[in-house]
Amino acid sequence: MKKAWVIAANILIILLVIGFVVAYAGKYNRDYVASRIKAFEDRTFAQEQITANYLRGEQQLCDSWASYIRSNRLTMDEAVSFVRSSLSQSGVTAAVLWADTSEMNGLSASAKNGTTDDYSVSYRQIHLFPEDGIGGTEMDFPDGRINITRAYTNPINGLQSIAFYDPIPLNEDGTTRQALLLRIVPTSLLEEQWVFPKEEFQNAEISLIDAEGNYIIRGKSFKNTNFYEFYKSYNTTDLTGMEALTDAVTSSTGSLEMHNSKNQECLVAYTPMQASDGWSILAYMRMEDLGTGSVDWLLIGVVTAGLLLLLILDSAVMLNFNRRLRAAVKEAEAANRAKTDFLSTMSHDIRTPMNAIIGLTSIAEKTLDDRDSVRDSLRKISMAGSHLLTLINDILDISKVESGRLTLNAADFSIVETAENLINLSAPMVKEKNIRFNFRTSGIEKEWLTADQLRLNQIYINLLSNAVKYTEPGGSVSVNLTEEPAEKEGFVILTYVVSDTGIGMTPEFMAKMYQPFSRQTDSRVNSIQGTGLGLTITKQMVELMDGSIECESEPGRGTTFTVKLTLPAAKRKTTEMSLPDADVLVVDDDEVLCETAVDTLCSLGARAESASGADEALEKILARHREGRDWSAVILDWKMPGMNGAELARRIRGEIGDGVPILLTSAYDWSDIEEEAKASGVNGFLSKPLFRSTLCRKLNELLGREASAKEAEDDNSDLAGMRILVAEDNDINWEIISMLMQMNGIECDRAENGQLAVDRIREAPEDLYDLIFMDIQMPVMNGLDAARAIRALPAPHAKTIPIIAMTADAFSENVAECLNAGMNGHIAKPIDIDLVLKEIRIIKEKKQ
Amino acid sequence: MKNNIRKLLAILLCAALLIGGTACSNSGGPDGEGQAAAKQDGAAEGTAPEEIPFAPAFPADTAAAINVAGHYSNFEALEAEFDRFNEYYPNVELSYTYLDNYNGTIEVVLSSAEAPDIFFSYPWMLEREDLKSVIETAEDLSDPSLGMNLSCVQEKLLYRDAAGRIPILPVFCTTYGMLVNEAIFEKEGLEVPKTYDELLSVCEALQKAGYPSPMMGYNRNSFLLLPLSFPYFCAEIQGNGKALQDLNALAPGAGEYARDALRLTADFIGRGFIDREACDALENDYQAVILRFFEGDVPMMLATGGTVSGTEKRESMSDAYAANPFPYSYHPVPSTAEGGYFLNQLSMGFSVNSNSKNLDMTNEFMRFLTRTEELSRMAQIKRMVTPCRDMSFDGVYASFGALSGGHVIYQSDVGLEDEPDKQMRRAGTRICDGSMTVDEAVAAFGTFTD
Repeated sequence: MKKAWVIAANILIILLVIGFVVAYAGKYNRDYVASRIKAFEDRTFAQEQITANYLRGEQQLCDSWASYIRSNRLTMDEAVSFVRSSLSQSGVTAAVLWADTSEMNGLSASAKNGTTDDYSVSYRQIHLFPEDGIGGTEMDFPDGRINITRAYTNPINGLQSIAFYDPIPLNEDGTTRQALLLRIVPTSLLEEQWVFPKEEFQNAEISLIDAEGNYIIRGKSFKNTNFYEFYKSYNTTDLTGMEALTDAVTSSTGSLEMHNSKNQECLVAYTPMQASDGWSILAYMRMEDLGTGSVDWLLIGVVTAGLLLLLILDSAVMLNFNRRLRAAVKEAEAANRAKTDFLSTMSHDIRTPMNAIIGLTSIAEKTLDDRDSVRDSLRKISMAGSHLLTLINDILDISKVESGRLTLNAADFSIVETAENLINLSAPMVKEKNIRFNFRTSGIEKEWLTADQLRLNQIYINLLSNAVKYTEPGGSVSVNLTEEPAEKEGFVILTYVVSDTGIGMTPEFMAKMYQPFSRQTDSRVNSIQGTGLGLTITKQMVELMDGSIECESEPGRGTTFTVKLTLPAAKRKTTEMSLPDADVLVVDDDEVLCETAVDTLCSLGARAESASGADEALEKILARHREGRDWSAVILDWKMPGMNGAELARRIRGEIGDGVPILLTSAYDWSDIEEEAKASGVNGFLSKPLFRSTLCRKLNELLGREASAKEAEDDNSDLAGMRILVAEDNDINWEIISMLMQMNGIECDRAENGQLAVDRIREAPEDLYDLIFMDIQMPVMNGLDAARAIRALPAPHAKTIPIIAMTADAFSENVAECLNAGMNGHIAKPIDIDLVLKEIRIIKEKKQ
Repeated sequence: MKNNIRKLLAILLCAALLIGGTACSNSGGPDGEGQAAAKQDGAAEGTAPEEIPFAPAFPADTAAAINVAGHYSNFEALEAEFDRFNEYYPNVELSYTYLDNYNGTIEVVLSSAEAPDIFFSYPWMLEREDLKSVIETAEDLSDPSLGMNLSCVQEKLLYRDAAGRIPILPVFCTTYGMLVNEAIFEKEGLEVPKTYDELLSVCEALQKAGYPSPMMGYNRNSFLLLPLSFPYFCAEIQGNGKALQDLNALAPGAGEYARDALRLTADFIGRGFIDREACDALENDYQAVILRFFEGDVPMMLATGGTVSGTEKRESMSDAYAANPFPYSYHPVPSTAEGGYFLNQLSMGFSVNSNSKNLDMTNEFMRFLTRTEELSRMAQIKRMVTPCRDMSFDGVYASFGALSGGHVIYQSDVGLEDEPDKQMRRAGTRICDGSMTVDEAVAAFGTFTD
């Protein structure tokens, strides 16, 4: 659905909800108003009862006066005197008028304003009664009726008043004359007592009108002197409407809505006075005082605002969600593209060495008679196989990185050994590309550390091999490995800096160099083999080890990678080393190396000095010789400006003879110079960098303080006679391992699956097998179950016999699984025969 | 950039709103409203100086109660002013009270506990000894400290008492004339008469057209043809010092000054253009007269300005008029060959009770009222003639606005006192009811009693 339709649907729903709320609020408001109006009418009706009771009370007082006057046949003066004496309520007065004359004159109970003795009064101009007086007419005064005038201006005191009246006969000179007795109450007095209840209806006002609509009592908001005139003045009506209004007001209880003088809507409730013909009570209130409207609009406003906010919020969330979805889709598409590219690249990269392997195998088969050709083909097949293995390992690693399943298996390892391995691994490449290579170490106090050595090696090798790969012949690669104490006790900071003078990287590439499948695009690079996964894996591993990796690079100038790892020092102690009473001269044009070596030697107890070149070295050697205290040993760098190490050795031997042992150091493989060096008088070789342990061991050997380590790299005769059980279901793999073992004098028995291996061990004599090589994925019983079963056998040797996994399951968790199953080691396929033999030797030595 | 443009637009909009709001506030309020309708200054005494808008003298939240007492049973025009005054002082309660037998009770009321702050007053009160205390109670509105803008009122309507004070603020003026059913005139192809001869011709034509009584008027206890002859009488004696002296003194022979007016009455009544019985049926000179006129069959109805004031409100009360409404207007009765007269009389004024409990606010209200805008507005609502210099006539009074020169007469210029006025009315009544001839009425002038 398009965005516009979604928004339109939302707006429609909002409008429907608002419409419902408006309608509901309107209905609620109408119901509320109706209930309030009904309550107002009811209250008005109740007021009629109260009013009637009050008026009846006043009328009864007037009636009682009249009754007394009638029964005593009083004269005018006597009657007035009587009512004057009966007046008790402040403000209330009375008058007696002759009713049989149109003059309507008589006497007031109180004196006229401004006089003290003028009691005469005339109501002729007040027009309260028929113009010809009531004496001459048959006025009806039924018992119980309230006789009350409209509000009028009392001619005696000027106050607006109403009067309750009764006809009375008066005695005048023995004759009876008709008169009216008036009990006169100021309307202000009434207004004080006669108010509409304010608790429920604030600002309500009340009026009392006669049959013509004239106010008897008038509320402040009632305009004019007549209610109907008031209505006509501010509301549109006609005669019929007015008649209907008059009829309604005088005969029923109800209410009407009208406009007041300010054009405000107001409500007038009316109810007729039952006690007095034609009179009605009117209660007045402005509609806004009924409390209508405001609450509903607030509700509608809040609902509207809420819905709009919801719409805006939802729209924002939806837009954001869509944006993220689009980004995710883009990322997924990019990932798919990358994987397609990767597969394409991998296909290419796998096919390339495979092509070499298959092609060279075919060549070898056809040139079996040409031994050199076969050897060359096999060497190249081996190289292609190694590359293929690296490629596969990288793919597996990146797969684990992407799935987040890359875990570390920490173990103790020697950083010296690691560095030596690095040098050994890189030496052939460095030599092949004719690159200047420099490997320095400093501060290696803690040789044994705890970490996942496999991953650490991977980090270091990746960076170093990249540096070598991307450095053109004639360039240089240098490595600085530094160890320094960490703030946390028992930890060291291992800093690994690889610098090269290679092709460098562009900032654009550096921004994405840690992304999988990224390779610098360069005409020089395209010829370089690589998966584009190395840096990705390296960074992931560094982060997994809570370390940091930084890179500085400039196209054409080279690259420097710095990896910092904080690792715990192993509890394993480095063997106590010392070189007492030894004077050693270190000769190298590398001042840093000289300084480091001198420090190391001094820390071992030796006395050491350095010389930066051949001349200085010769001078120092000769000087000592003349003094009769030759150096205990001289360490020479092979490659020095002017005179290389071999030539200098020859000069030394020429000057002072063979008395002083000479060690030659190099960062390169010395196999090519070994013959020449030995001929020049060199006694031994040391690989750079000069590790404390290596230096100490080698010097002690030269100085005859320790038996020389037997160099047995190619001599595996010590392993002859050993017997190994190989659990392997694959015939070719069995053939390879059995052949390799036989070549070294080791006998092998085969078990085609795990169950057979268990059976063999159960049945074999105690010392028949020295070792078991156990494949993992096998039919009937896998290697892990077989190892557990063997360890569970009752025979004592079954619990101790070394079991080494030999499997293509090469991940570290696979290693951990093997160890957990009771195995003692792990060798990944394809096997490195040297590694296998080394493992066998260790086992043999342990057994011995 | 976009944000800056938005900010600029927002500032401009705010500025526009402020300017708009200021403009609105300037034009709001009672004083900001437009002045009353078109002005017809033909009958005006002169143009008034430009008025200063009303400026409240007290804080807006000042509370007070002001009561106005009078003899109008309904006074919507004043109640409208109450509402307008409340726009300045919302906490001031203003009310109007109708007093029964006003002339007989006002003195007592002023001495009562409910004495009004403002009360109705009339020029004739200045001459009445029995109402002397009432006028004395009234504040002198000419006192400069009160700040009343009396200059907006026509000078000839400002009456002074013996002490030279001005106790009455003129509120409404009235005059004599006739209501004309314009529909009948149009139907019969007649023009509203402007001279006495035209009046006779029109009456004759109307009678022939089937209107037995072309003219009607209130006749109970009054002078039927007062609107015809009294302005003429006043015009005759205006400026005649001897005549005025004799008339006010009711000197023997003073009736001769009324002879021409009485003869005019007799002449017209003798021509049979008025059905006196029909006129006698009219119960009062207000609602009864108006509703009869609205029946639609009376071409001309003699009436005072007071009667005319009730016409508009009663249009809806007449079934006949509601069924067949017609245009009508109010005209001077043409009593001479030169036409009729506009006798401008002060109908009612306001006086301030100097003993008012809220004298300051009462004076503030009077100051508010004493402006052309408010007085004219009241006159317009009441359908009376404004006392202001700038006379804005209701459309129904249009023909009075066309009169000028000697045909506009101020009662104060005439100088006729109350008693010779009454004698003239009583004499006219005798002529109308046929109980006396002109000679008899002239001879009896000064001796008539009710």
